[in-house]
Amino acid sequence: MLDAATPTLQRTRGLASVGLSCAGGVTRIAGLRQEGSAKAFLPRTDAEDPEVVFLNTAGGLTGGDRMAFRLALDPDARATATTQTAERVYRAASGVAEMRVELEAGAGAALDWLPQETILFQGAALMRETTVSLGQDARLLMAETVVLGRAAMGETVTRAAFTDRRRVLREGRPVMVEPLALDAESLAAEGPAGLDGARALATLALFDQGAEDALGPVRALLDEPGAVAHASAWDGKLVLRAMAADARPVRRIVARVAAHLRRGPLPRVWQI
Amino acid sequence: MGTTTTTRIRMSDGALLTLAQWLSPAFPVGGFAWSHGLEAAVVSGRVTEAGAVRDWIGAVIARGSGRADAVLLAAAMKDGADVEALADLARALAASRERWAETRAQGTAFAETVHALTGADVPRTALPVALGVAARGLGLPAPLVAGFYLQAFAANLVSAAVRFVPLGQTEGQRVLAELRPLILRVAAEAVETDPGEIASSVFGADLAAMAHETQEVRIFRS
Repeated sequence: MLDAATPTLQRTRGLASVGLSCAGGVTRIAGLRQEGSAKAFLPRTDAEDPEVVFLNTAGGLTGGDRMAFRLALDPDARATATTQTAERVYRAASGVAEMRVELEAGAGAALDWLPQETILFQGAALMRETTVSLGQDARLLMAETVVLGRAAMGETVTRAAFTDRRRVLREGRPVMVEPLALDAESLAAEGPAGLDGARALATLALFDQGAEDALGPVRALLDEPGAVAHASAWDGKLVLRAMAADARPVRRIVARVAAHLRRGPLPRVWQI
Repeated sequence: MGTTTTTRIRMSDGALLTLAQWLSPAFPVGGFAWSHGLEAAVVSGRVTEAGAVRDWIGAVIARGSGRADAVLLAAAMKDGADVEALADLARALAASRERWAETRAQGTAFAETVHALTGADVPRTALPVALGVAARGLGLPAPLVAGFYLQAFAANLVSAAVRFVPLGQTEGQRVLAELRPLILRVAAEAVETDPGEIASSVFGADLAAMAHETQEVRIFRS
């Protein structure tokens, strides 16, 4: 609980949880729970399937904050989920922010998890765990973009404690684990094996029966001045990584490939 | 009986020789065929001399798949380890199709060869997991086995660099020697790391591993 008597110790707490069910091929909201600074809403769109938008009303994260977004799709449900704005992670005076994203897609369900980018400020401390549990034949498209500072402001991030563990499970077994971790050592490391001067990093992944067939067309979409992007496909998944000294070309690649793989428009709230 | 002047060989010395045999370039796992994405970094003109080779391999060991492998290996050495879960994790951690092929092909060849030699049942999966299971019976400390593994991993990439950058043989061996303090540090840290805590920040090396797939001319399989 927030304690008004000790404002310096105030910490953001939030949990937003959404359940979606499917009947007769139509996906509908089955449950919604919102606590603290986390909200979720389903704006009306022209799209056939609902779009779930998560929001941290505190406007960013700092040390000691606890935030959780949950979304569960029943079998055969279809939805896109995103975040209302970029997630800003401010300098942490003390402690580490913790964020948990727990997504489930039951058998035959289809989920696009396309949050807006995470922006790390100098001294940011965030431990984020994203876990997506897929049932048999469930389809998942996910994209995560991390931006280091605001290039337009000339910021360079040299200190951070950022762990961003993304795990995708299919029927309980891990099919992708991407444990990105950035600290002062990795931010300072030079050379082409590391960040190589990049300020924006993105990973996009598709888990679907046709994922490997999508590789050729996706590779044809990766050419973008100022960015390095490559893709690979194996084991029923397609993974794309992109990095650049500036966020814009990375955003463009992710938007282009996501639009292609969705066979439809990007989430309404995305601003490219 | 007369007094013996023979220096006694300890049991663990035999185990050390077994480990050295398993991780020697002559053990038929086919390591020479794989560059772990280094070939792409060389072709793109980003790695052109000994210092850059050392930094590239060092980054992968310090903050990437080298460290992850050492953690998986140490975990697989523990009695009662969930080997299937570790094999799944190794597969899920692979950064690209060729990275997975690289560790699976070598792990499978390793398991088959050890089985042929000793009859031991070793899982045919990612190399560090297969090696960890096989090494259980050696009675050697996990940091030592992890250090041997990382040295073999580095030596294989140095050998690729000597052939492809190219580097002189002595230059290549100097790179390997310079990596030794890092290898010892990462090996010691890896055995204290839970596999669930594996982390990586070598985004460029992972991109290079993917870039290798579309290279027009390829000497290595990764």
